[in-house]
Amino acid sequence: MCNCEECEQWMQPYMDRVLTDAERAEAETHLDECSYCRKRYRFEEHLRQFVRQAVVIEPMPIELKQKLSELRTPLL
Amino acid sequence: MSETTREPEARRLATAARDRVRFEEDALALSDQVYRVARHLVGSREEADDLMQETYARAFRSWRSFTPGTNLRAWLLRILTNLNIDRGRRIQRQPDSQPLEEGDYFLYNRLEESTDGPTDEDRVVQRLSQNDVVEALSEVPHDFRDVIVLVDIGDFTYADAAQILDVPIGTVMSRLHRGRRILKQAMAASAVGGDG
Repeated sequence: MCNCEECEQWMQPYMDRVLTDAERAEAETHLDECSYCRKRYRFEEHLRQFVRQAVVIEPMPIELKQKLSELRTPLL
Repeated sequence: MSETTREPEARRLATAARDRVRFEEDALALSDQVYRVARHLVGSREEADDLMQETYARAFRSWRSFTPGTNLRAWLLRILTNLNIDRGRRIQRQPDSQPLEEGDYFLYNRLEESTDGPTDEDRVVQRLSQNDVVEALSEVPHDFRDVIVLVDIGDFTYADAAQILDVPIGTVMSRLHRGRRILKQAMAASAVGGDG
């Protein structure tokens, strides 16, 4: 089983689902047994969602959409 | 030219025209998603607007170089990031010149320290405001921000991000790793204060 330091190193790759099966299993075992890391893992999940929502921008301006359409090749 | 030789040629032209129209429709249908990423890659709305028009003009000119069945959104963003670099909007710098950043638990620990009483993950994340995130993201150097924007906001895979930015996949992974840490440091500084 990995320790807290390794779990911290693996946290982002774990969330990105790029760990090997063996690493993933080790990380999950550690998270099951370690409330310190589990708390931080849950925070990281909340944080990703929060960042994604926080940076939502205004929709593309209609005028720009129109300009892009006008760039299309004219039909003969 | 006889009627018999003109006919296949006419058919070929009709097929090409139909393919081009379909390509342009597909590309335009993705414009909201491309804009969303573009808006985070450049500093202002005006720059994003210009870049979008240049990108689509080039895409429509060179539509034949797109391979049907591959990722059109990634293809469009590859054009966009190349144009962004070509226009000199970005100063290329060496990512390794960045100072070492804190670990992955740094932000949680900083927020928890500054929260009175018992804490849970929900309460800790509530210490952050939307503005903290937006400001922090703008402080992340471009090389790192690009991968965060593509992977964490644009939902691109590591492989797509590597293709768009024309860097090896290992570079995407290392920039993402460091970029997220830099982002967390900036969020901590914004939310809690101090030097992070």
